[in-house]
This record gives sequence, C-alpha cells and structure tokens, in this order.
Amino acid sequence: MIDFSRVQKELQECSRDIESSGIRVTPKSDNLGRLTGIIPGPTGTPYEGGTFCIDITLPDGYPFEPPKMQFATKVWHPNISSQSGAICLDILKDQWSPALTLKTALLSVQALLSAPQPDDPQDAVVAQQYIKEYQTFVGTARYWTETFAKVSSLGVEEKVQKLVEMGFPESLVRSTLEAVGGDENLALEKLCSG
Amino acid sequence: MEDYGDSDEECYYSDDRESLDGLDNEDSHFQRVTPKGPKVIRKESLLAAQREDLRRVMELLSLREHHARTLLIHYRWDVERLFAVLVEKGKSFLFTEAGVTIIESQDNDSQQTSCSTVRCDICIEDLSRDKATRMDCGHSFCNDCWTEHFIVKINEGQSKRIRCMAYKCNAICDEAVVRNLVSKRHPDLAEKFERFLLESYIEDNKMVKWCPSTPHCGNAIRVEEDQFCEVECSCGMQFCFSCLSETHSPCSCLMWELWSKKCRDESETVNWITVHTKPCPKCHKPVEKNGGCNLVSCVCGQAFCWLCGGATGRDHTWSRIAGHSCGRYKEDQEKKTERAKRDLYRYMHYHNRYKAHTDSFELESKLKKTIMRKVSISEEKESRLRDFSWVTNGLQRLFRSRRVLSYSYPFAFYMFGEELLEDGMTEVDREIKQSLFEDQQQQLESNVEKLSKFLGKPFEQYSDDKVMDIRMQVINLSVVTDSLCKKMYECIENDLLGSLQPGMHNIAPYKSKGIEKASELTTGWSSKTNATNMFLSSSGGTSKQERPSDSGSSDDSGCFALKRARKEDGGYFDLNLPAEVVDRS
Repeated sequence: MIDFSRVQKELQECSRDIESSGIRVTPKSDNLGRLTGIIPGPTGTPYEGGTFCIDITLPDGYPFEPPKMQFATKVWHPNISSQSGAICLDILKDQWSPALTLKTALLSVQALLSAPQPDDPQDAVVAQQYIKEYQTFVGTARYWTETFAKVSSLGVEEKVQKLVEMGFPESLVRSTLEAVGGDENLALEKLCSG
Repeated sequence: MEDYGDSDEECYYSDDRESLDGLDNEDSHFQRVTPKGPKVIRKESLLAAQREDLRRVMELLSLREHHARTLLIHYRWDVERLFAVLVEKGKSFLFTEAGVTIIESQDNDSQQTSCSTVRCDICIEDLSRDKATRMDCGHSFCNDCWTEHFIVKINEGQSKRIRCMAYKCNAICDEAVVRNLVSKRHPDLAEKFERFLLESYIEDNKMVKWCPSTPHCGNAIRVEEDQFCEVECSCGMQFCFSCLSETHSPCSCLMWELWSKKCRDESETVNWITVHTKPCPKCHKPVEKNGGCNLVSCVCGQAFCWLCGGATGRDHTWSRIAGHSCGRYKEDQEKKTERAKRDLYRYMHYHNRYKAHTDSFELESKLKKTIMRKVSISEEKESRLRDFSWVTNGLQRLFRSRRVLSYSYPFAFYMFGEELLEDGMTEVDREIKQSLFEDQQQQLESNVEKLSKFLGKPFEQYSDDKVMDIRMQVINLSVVTDSLCKKMYECIENDLLGSLQPGMHNIAPYKSKGIEKASELTTGWSSKTNATNMFLSSSGGTSKQERPSDSGSSDDSGCFALKRARKEDGGYFDLNLPAEVVDRS
C-alpha cells in the first residue's frame, strides 16, 4: 500500500516553499495515487520561460519503490522521449532511495533539463542532433518550449486562426499543427497534401 | 602378487606402486573422507561449506561475519582475489567497493541518545528511539520503514545486496537486522532471504556448481583449484565440471559441444543429399540415381540430365540424349561437391568409430552381470584360486579405457580437421602429430579389444592353470591400457593442445581410478589446520598431521598425485607442462 500519510506530508512540505523552488505537486483526483508535478524551465536554457507538466503515478510500494514520472508537456531533450515523454533518469530507476521525495525527484528532473546527457539518450534522434548540430537543437528545443510549454501560447492560437481562415476545419488544424511540432508552414503543406 | 588386489590401502600407500592401481578395488576408495578433491554440498551442509572462507576473511580483517559475507559476495567468493585487492588497493577501497562500512567512533551515537525521540526521514514521523534501527553506515530509520524496504528488495531478487535507504549510501544492510525485522512480518520471506544469501556461495562462485541432474538432486559440487575436471555427485550423476555436460575427456568442452551438436542436427544428412542427389528441375525434390544412364526421370515424370541437372526430352541413345549437350566442364560445381563428399566421409569415419566404442561400452556394461555370475560360480569351486578381484578390476579398467577411446575420436576429428582449428598448425606439422596420435590410439584400441576378449572368456569352466593364464593376461592388459590412456592424455595436453592458444581448450586430467566421486563435506575438521594447508600449498605433499583423524591412510594415494603435481607447479595453465615435470613431482 502507498504510504498516504507520507504523501500528504510531502505535499504540505512542497507547497510551503513553492515560492523558492517553483515546484508544484497537485493530486489529479482524491486518491493521491496520481499526481501532476509542475516545474519551471531552468533559466539560461532553451526551456526557460516554459512550464512543464509531469504525470506522476505512485506504485503500491511507494516510497520504497520509485514513482513513475512522464512528461505530459512535449519537450525536445536527449533524455526525454519526444514521442511519449518518458524520462531516462537513474534516480527514477535503480538509484531511487526511499529518502528521496517527489519534490527532490522533480528537482532532479529540472536539473536534467539544464544538463542533458546525450551519451545515455532516451531519444536517439534528439541526442544525435544535440551532438552534431547543437545550434539546431537549441532552436528546436526553444521552439517546442514556445509552442507547447507556454501556458497561454498566443503564437499557436494565431497560427490556428490563420489556417482556419484559409478554410481548414479547426480540429484538423490543431492536430496537424501538433503533429508537425507547431511549424505553420509544415502544417500548411501537410494540410494541402492530405 | 596374491594380496595386493584386496588390500588397496597398501597398494596406495606409496606412490611408486601407483602403476598397480589398475588392479585396485576402486569401489571402496572414494567413499572415504578425503580432505582434498571435490565435495558434495547438500542443503544441510551449505552453511558449513562457506564457513571456511568466511572465517579466513573474518580473521584476516577482524570483521564480523556479515561484513565478511558482504565482501565475499562482492568478490564472488574468490578469497585470493579479495586478498589481492586488499594488498593492492588497501582496506578502505576494498570496503567501499563492496559496501561495507565500519564506524570507528561512537560519537554520533552518544550525541543522538540525548533526545528520546527521532524523526524517520522516510515516513516523516517522530518516534521513540527504540523503534528505530541504526545501520553500520550510521543512517537511522524506523523499523517499519526498514522492514518495508527489505521486503521490496527481497521481492525484487536483490537479497544478496540490500543497500541502505539513504540516498547515495552504498552500504549493504546488516543481514541480522534484515532477518530479524522481516521475520516478524513475513517469516517465509525471511526464509527466502536466508536461502538466497546462503546460495550465493553456489550461484556466485566459480568453484561451486549445482549438480546438473534432472530431476535435480539438490546437491552442489565444490572443486579445488582446477575447474577442468570430471566429477561424480553423490546422486550418481557424472559430469564435466567445466561445461556441466556429460563427461567427455579427452575432448575439450568446446570440441564436445560442437561434436554433440553435429551429431544431433541434420547438417550431415544435408551433406549426403548434396553429394548423392540432384534436384528435379520440375518438382525440385532430390533425386537419387539408382543406376542406368545419365538420363534420369523423376517420380513426377520429368526427365533430366544427371550431369547438368537440366530438363531434357525422353529420347536418348547410348552416347547422348536427344537435343541435349552439356559437355562443358563446370569446375566450381565439381569442387564443391568433392569437398562436401570429403567432409562427409571424414565425419563418417570418426563418427563410426566413436559410435562403435560407445556401443561396445554399453554392451560391456551389461556384461558386468554375466561376469559377476561367472565369478561367483568360480568362487564356489574347489580351487586354490580364491581371489577374483582381478576380474572386477579388469572390467573397470575396460570401461574406463573404452570411454577414453570413444571420446578420442571426436577429439581427433576436431584436432586434425579444419573446422575448428583452421590455422592451428601447418600441413606438415599436422601430419606428424596426427600419425603420432593415431599410433597411440591404435595401440590403445588393440589392447582394449584384447582385454575385452579375455574378460569375455568362460573362465568359470576352465581349469586352474588356464584361469591363471587368463588372470595374468587380464592383469597385464589392465596395466598396459591404463598407462596407454595416461600417455594419450599427456600427449594431448602437452604435444597437441599445448601448442594451441592457451586457455581455449582444456581437458580434465586423466584419472586412473575413473571419475572422481565427490566426497561428503566433513564439518568437524579444524579450520585452522586447513587454512594453513591452503597457504602451504607450495610445500609439497601434505603431512600426516594436517589430515583429519578420520580420513584413513589412503589420502596420499596416487589419484591425487597428478592433481597435486599440477598445483605445486602453480598457476592454472600448467596443463601444458611437459609430462616429466608432472611425473617427477
């Protein structure tokens, strides 16, 4: 069974210093087994200014087994799957210790955003780009942050507006934009071809 | 000569009479407790088996048992390596690597005892001090959290290395604490933990292996020094310790693996088909030519030319098929077929002989009963001949030599073939070595057959003089085949395998007395003397005082002479020493 009293305490502890850490953990429902973590993108990185949501599922053995964490916000990072949001981080696997908490784990994830480890990639495509074309990587990562991690991303709404005005249905426009990573030209090309 | 057969003690007493060991009654020999040689480890003696290693580590480093175990598990029960690391890198490196922490001072403890409650960082509760446990590394958490952690780790299969709960703390938890806490909540899980810990001695130790018997007898076998040996478990299972398959010396493990695979799979059948058949151009079934001219017709009705395999009409003359000509010579095709044919014949040559000897071995095993009946008839007779141990001894010798002989064929197949050792030696070298080996093999073969012939005679109907004559023959042949086997092994080890890359092919040493039976582990012996014994391994033969008192006087017998000789010369690769060195020592 999950130690809910500990989870409760962790949540209190977390909300106490929300100002300094910027890290927020909120339960998705009443049962505390599923939570959402929110971390701000670290300054000085392509993720700066973004707000990243992380789905947290607590296993029965928590805190003796590591929590399962996955990015809900799309993010361009060598150690995070651009498809599924899966995170490759040792403390979420064999290096987990019951002395760690959701907050410390989220802090580690935040640290991972500032210090990618392309040698141990989760997403090979991103890692290749990181190694070979660093500038392109920074551009894409920033673009993804702009597109997906900004709470009210006006840019996207404007693009949607523009494409809808061209005569495409709104739902299709949105899904196409997302599929091509927010690039309106690519989206237009795709909409025209298919 | 009358009396050596039934008193093998005397026979074994001195090494210079070793040549007579073809005549001993080996059944009684290995059941005696010997301090050296393979041991059977049972469920009950598993703990006792690891005591010695634990004690050595505990004494040298003045450690508690669980620390010693943690170290040994980390170093896979290789005490020598553990000591080597200690000498090279020092104690603290050794301990940190393995996750052993020993707190020197108790300052922390005394400071903390001042307050009566502690906060557990895991469940974030304040609780009284007696409900928390402090591990050797200094980290303290409440008992409930510890228990939960242990249960998760045991279920994950990590019993052997349960680390402290603190982040980045590499220390391994005290097994006594684990045992104690877990048994309060889950006694069966605590038992599982215990078993995992104990079985590490088998699982993680290259000198100990589970007996491969099916259904499993539950035993494990421990060997000394040489992993290349053949042993018999107390359940009767005989196996090669190195590869856990059936005993196969003088074949190396790799050769045996290839050979048994070759015999199993159909690659040779496929070879035969390539050589002797051609596919029908219409239905593609393989067609064998059963005589007649080169115009062949398949069961499907299609006619084709046997020379080129091409479809033809049905009209033909003696010299040519109507509208068809294929005189052009295709060299590649020819060569391929030739090669396949040669390989097949070569394999068949070795396989037939291997099979013949294996079959004889099986038949002769049945012979044992008949012969024993003959012996009992003879013993009933009014005769001055009372002792028939030469018959049983001769029979045992026949079995052992037959075994050697049959496995010598797959050995030769790979040793002198191209499949395994393509660049092993030059053509000339190969020819010389092959004829040397084959001479020995043939000598052994003829003597084994002779021995078999004499043992098969109906001696129970013969007169005393005639029996005496057979007896002499059997005794002589026993000694001869034994020494021929020994020579063959020496030739293989030194002249043949010795010239190859070391370590690739190792064979179990020749045992005159057959496959060594693993003896029961004696738990009573003083570990001190045994430890010294190990350290003094370079000082030649074991002296009497070092032996346990209950082991009888036969320990110094010839069966260990070869092994000990190897050991004295040190190192693992002394398999390749010239025979004289082994003999001299």
